[in-house]
Formats: sequence, structure tokens, C-alpha cells
Amino acid sequence: MDNFKKKFIEEATDLIEGLEKNLLALEQNPEDPGLIQQVFRVMHTLKGNSSMFGFDLIDHYTHDLETVYDLVRNKKLKLTREVLDVTLSSVDHLKLLLDENNYNDPDFLTLHNALVSRVSKLIKVETVSENSNESDQGKVSIQEIQEEKTFFIRFIPSIGIFKNGTNPLYLIDEIHSLGNAKVFVHLNKIPLLNEIDPLLCYTYWEIILVTNHNYADISDIFIFVEGESTIQIQSIAEDNLLDDDYFVSEITRIAKIQKDIGLATVQKIAEDAKKRFLQSKAATIKRDKVGLKDTSISSIRVSSEKLDSLMNLVSELVTTQARLSLFAEQNNIPGLTGISENVQKLSRQLRDTAFSIVLIPIENMLTRFQRLVRDLSNELKKDVVFVTEGADTELDKTIIESLSDPLMHIIRNSLDHGIEEAQERIKRGKPKQGKISLKAFYSGANVHILISDDGAGIDTDIIREKAVSKGIIPPDKKFTKKEILDLVFIPGFSTAKKVTDVSGRGVGMDVVKRKIADIRGEVEIESELGVGTTITIKLPLTLSIIDGLLIKVEETHYVIPLSSVDKIFAVERKKIYETFNNVLVLEGRQVSFFNIRREFGLPDGVQDIEQVIVINYEENRVGLIVDTVIGEYQAVLKPLGKHYKKQEMVSGATILGDGSIALVLDTNKIIKLFSKIENY
Amino acid sequence: MARTILIVDDSESIREVVSFTLENEGYNVLVAVDGKDALKYLDGKSIDLIITDLHMPEMDGIELIKEVRKMPTYQRIPILFLTTESQTSRKMEAKDAGATGWIIKPFVPAKLIAALNKVIR
Repeated sequence: MDNFKKKFIEEATDLIEGLEKNLLALEQNPEDPGLIQQVFRVMHTLKGNSSMFGFDLIDHYTHDLETVYDLVRNKKLKLTREVLDVTLSSVDHLKLLLDENNYNDPDFLTLHNALVSRVSKLIKVETVSENSNESDQGKVSIQEIQEEKTFFIRFIPSIGIFKNGTNPLYLIDEIHSLGNAKVFVHLNKIPLLNEIDPLLCYTYWEIILVTNHNYADISDIFIFVEGESTIQIQSIAEDNLLDDDYFVSEITRIAKIQKDIGLATVQKIAEDAKKRFLQSKAATIKRDKVGLKDTSISSIRVSSEKLDSLMNLVSELVTTQARLSLFAEQNNIPGLTGISENVQKLSRQLRDTAFSIVLIPIENMLTRFQRLVRDLSNELKKDVVFVTEGADTELDKTIIESLSDPLMHIIRNSLDHGIEEAQERIKRGKPKQGKISLKAFYSGANVHILISDDGAGIDTDIIREKAVSKGIIPPDKKFTKKEILDLVFIPGFSTAKKVTDVSGRGVGMDVVKRKIADIRGEVEIESELGVGTTITIKLPLTLSIIDGLLIKVEETHYVIPLSSVDKIFAVERKKIYETFNNVLVLEGRQVSFFNIRREFGLPDGVQDIEQVIVINYEENRVGLIVDTVIGEYQAVLKPLGKHYKKQEMVSGATILGDGSIALVLDTNKIIKLFSKIENY
Repeated sequence: MARTILIVDDSESIREVVSFTLENEGYNVLVAVDGKDALKYLDGKSIDLIITDLHMPEMDGIELIKEVRKMPTYQRIPILFLTTESQTSRKMEAKDAGATGWIIKPFVPAKLIAALNKVIR
């Protein structure tokens, strides 16, 4: 800062010298508006900059001088001899003020005060009110410590808000930073597509904010836009309304139906919420008086059979609803469409609720692994710590049940083959204590579980050697590292040089892979020799119902899980059939594609426009060519039956509204299969 | 990628304080001494935000803002201007010219960053 200060002093000295010159010129031509403007500008700059660098005396002094010249500029004050005299003495004084050593000199301060009062005399009424204002502002900032309050904010940006370079989303973000906010976005003012002007802002927001900041802090957010936009900020409760279940559910419901909530409604809901709260409080007190304990239960235990049957019923409902939708569509009966759409919405909500009931956190099975690691590391005389992250990640209970064995196996492998013995670790410069970590997290409609160790890693050369000796791969063929690592998933492949009690009996990763595939999951392995191994398991959140995309190829319906669909494009037929390398350019990027007709051995399509569904496949985007895209579809997954268990492309079947059957394609598997030119 | 901010001010000390603060926050900073100088930068360089003083010789802040809003590339770039508390009328004038917001002098780094957060990320 001292550097900046020095620079400021240099600069200010220049400014003051320039000021002196201007003042002398002004003495000759007291009416010259250009000169007056220049003097004013110097005062203004001095004032603004001096306060930045802590020269408060200059700040206050030039503030008054600025006011004087503002009055002169606006012809409210005549540029008299006295004004010029005072200003010129001020110039000399300002130079002295730049030297902070002077500040301790009592004579200097006396002089300063004398000059200040001379300047103030030049200004009469205007500044008084301004000063009292400033002291008021000082007061506001003191009483900051406040309880949490709930505010209602309605922010309707002016339609041309983008033209000033404002991005209203940043303002919404800023509201979030003040506290806990529930934001309702209203899109109902967006006109029809052909009437939209993309340069205009049609969106507006209503926000419930719980914060311990005050009104001024909130309105401060909108300070840049307050002139042209409509902003309503209203305190609606002296406590945290977002903690109130009734309030939150009611306002969410209203927002869904009405599109626009409005202050009056919010206030009414807030009042109702308060009344309900008081009533329940009164009731509790009453009960307490009578001697009864609070009987409200926050959770209940339900047998898993009941849950299973609930899930079955929901599945049936979803299937039936699909029939209803179809029926409504085919028979144009007034009113039926509305009812059908409502049923669709309700069944979707019911489905989500039912799902959330059967989801349980993976934490439940983690204790078992903790124990396993402790016992095994004792047995193997290795010092290993087991760390978990994301234990609150939830999965369908049936998935958790089938997951426990494979996970156990992977952890055993890590302990036995992965983590080196203590001496070996020290030799390699690793900490003596080995580490196995399990990390679970959500990724879209999937849950990922990562098990990593900081052990020896997998030696790809050994795997390769072994695969060659077992005749699994030809000796002269080149493989990528990933392909080599994937070999461990092939049945009968076990690499451990010595067989231990714990693992390595040849029943290996292939079983893990199969078991996880049974629950529609995938396993991937990554390893760095000497650094460690990470095994990633990707699982669907749930097994029984998925959001899918219904498509049609040659009179057959298929469902593709919506979670893996990125975009859909319509492409001319010739672009697909008249190509040699199966690559399309979509949105300026190359996308390789597979034509489902060709892959399934069907005759080529004849329509002019084909649909390309772009799928997220590992890190790439891959296109699938289909005849028709029908739309979104909630697919209740039914198993295909024993005979088809071995096929990989289809993960199940679902019943459509008209009673016919659609196969649910496992996009990852089919792309993997299509892209494999030769199998091992 | 780091955002690039163009600072326009005739006062060297202000330019330095602002660039020092912003560079510490990880922004790329370009400086210009007045509106005319600033326009040179706007020809070609990619800039994400302009912070300008209002009172400057040659071309002042308001004129600069008006010029910038005429350029197709920078029609909707956020522009903040530096001003003092007493200048409310100028504030509206700058706003009408197309400014996005303002920073009131004197400011501490936190206040500068707060104003920035309203307009870019």
C-alpha cells in the first residue's frame, strides 16, 4: 500500500500544480465555463483518490471545495475574489496536507481548521442535509446483528436488461449468498417461439429468502437495476419460514399451479403457517399438561415385503397409465385428455415417492467392510486404514443387497494383492500405513462407487504375458492399457503368483463383473503400477422403472434410457448411407454412429430423414440411427426370462400402452458390442 | 480461462490499486488512460468487463460507454464506472448511456469484488 501511496502523492502534486495554473487563468477569465469545469474535475479526482489512500483530511477538505465549484458551475454561487482567494490558499494548503508529518503540528491544524471554516462559509444550505444523511447511514450499519428473518422478493427485470450488460442470474446467485433461498423461476411471459426476441429478457423470479441480513443488504443486490426493473422486497416473517414444512409445500404447490405467486398469496400462506404452528404448539402444551408424551413419529419400520408390493403396484399403475394415455390420444373425448395427463403426473409423483422410500444409504453395509479390513489386515500383518466418503449416498435396497458381495471381493483383492507389506512400502517411499478408500457419489441418474488403494498397482506386462500363455490373446497383437486391464474380467483369469487364503483362487473379477451386470451396473478398472488401483462401479439408481426414450426401428419399439441420451438430430438419409467411415458432423463436431438397422441385420431404411440419437458413451458421443423417435416414456422394466439371460444388448422389456412389448436397450453395451470388430 | 478486465482511468494510482486488486483475484488486467486509449484495446482484444472512470480528459467515461455500446462485439459487455457518493445525477446519465453498474469511491478491495460479482463470474 505504501507504494500506492507514494504514487498517489506524486500524482496529487501534479494535479495541484495544474490546479494552481487553472486558478490563475480563471482569475483573468472568471466566466470561462471550461476552466471552472476543469477546476471542479481536479477537486473531484483529488477527493475520490485521497479517500482511497487514507488521506481523510484531504478527502473532507476537497469535498467542500468540490461543492463550492459545483455551485459555481451551476451558477448558484458567483466566483468572487473571496472564493478565488480561499481556493488559492487551499492549493498551498493541499500541498502541505500531502505530507503526513505535518499532521502532528498543532499550528498546522489550527490553520487547517481556519481554512475549513472559511470554505464552509462559502457553502450555505445544501451540504447540511447531506451530512445528516451520512451520519444516518453510519447508524444503519451498526445494528447488523440480527435474527433470521424471511423475506419475499419479486424481481421482474426490465425487458431490455441484457442491453446494459447485466446478467440477472448473477443477482439471483447473490441472493443465495445472503442465506437460504427458495427461488421460483417464472417462464410464463415467454412468448411463442416465432415471436421471441432473444435479446430480450422475459423471465422473472420470485424468491423466498431466509437471512440474517437486513432489507438494505437485499436491496443493495439490485442496486444496479433498481431504476428500470420491478423489485419488490417484503419481510414476511420474523423467523425462518423455509423450516416450516407446511409453508414450503404449500408455496411450491401454488407456484406449480399458478405460475405466479404474488405477495398477497405469500403473506396468506405465511400467516396460515404461523397459525398452524401456534395451533400445534398449543396442542403440544395441552398434551403435556394432560401428561401424554408427544406421539408424533418421525419414522416407522415397514417390512420390506410391503415395500416390494408397493413397488409392484406402482409399476402396474405406470403401465396402466400408459394405456390410459394411449386411449385418450386415440379417442378424442373432451375432458379425457386432461384427466389422463393428470393421472400421468400423479403416477410420476407416486413413482418418485415410492422410489425414495426404498432407497437406503450405503452406510448400512459399510460397517461390514470396516470390520473386514480390520480383521484381514491383522491376519495378513498389514497396516491398512479404510476410509469412506459419501456414505449417505442412497441406492435401491435390492441393489445394495446384491452389491455387498462384489464389493467385499474387491476390497479383499486390494488388501491381499494391492497393498504391499510394510517394509516394501517403506522401500518405495510410501507411508507405512496402506489406505483403501471407498467413495460413493451421484452422477446423473447413476451412482458411482470408487474403491481405490494406494498399493502396488497392476503390472500390465504380467497380465499380458499370462493372457498370451493362456491363449486368450494372440502374442503379436497390440492392445491399449485399458484393454489389457479389462482382461482381468475374463473368466478364469487370476494373476496372483501365489494363492492365498483370502483371494486368488481363480474365482475373480469375472464374478464381480457378472454380479454387477446383473443389477445393470458396470465395472471399470484403472491402475498405475506402483501407485495404486481404482475400481469404479457405476450403478443405476433403481432397478424397476426408468425414464426412457421410446423409439421405433422397422415396426419394432425400443426404449433407450433417457439418462444416456444427449441430443437428437434429424439427418438426411444420404448422409448416413453414403458414407464410408460412419462419421457425421453434428454441431461442428464429428460423431461416429451406428445404424441400428444394419447392426440388427435389417434392410436399409427408405425414409428421407433419419433420426440420430446421440448417446454419451464413456467420454465420447456416439450416434445411433433409428427410424422414429416417439417420445419420453416411463418404462417398467420386466426381466426377459431365463433363455435370454446371456444376451447383453437388452436389459429388459416393458409393456407399452397398447399391450405390445418394447425392448429396453442397454446403450453402453450395444455400443461396446457394435464397436468390437473382433472379440477376444 | 481467466477473465480479462479493462481498466480506464486517467489516475495512475487508481489504475494501479484496481489492477493490483484484480490481478490478486486472478483476472487479466489491461489498462487505458482515457476513453480514446480504451477504444484501441476494444479493437480486437477479447475483453470480459470494462471498469471506467467518468471524468477523464480526451474522451470521458460516458462517451466511452456510448461508443462501446455501438460496437457489435461489445454491445452487451458489462461496464462498471467509478464514481463518488455525491454524483447521483451522473450515475443516471451513465446508466442511460448503457453502463451496467458502478463502484463508489472510496472503495476497499472487498467492495470492488462485490460489485464485480454482480456482473461477471
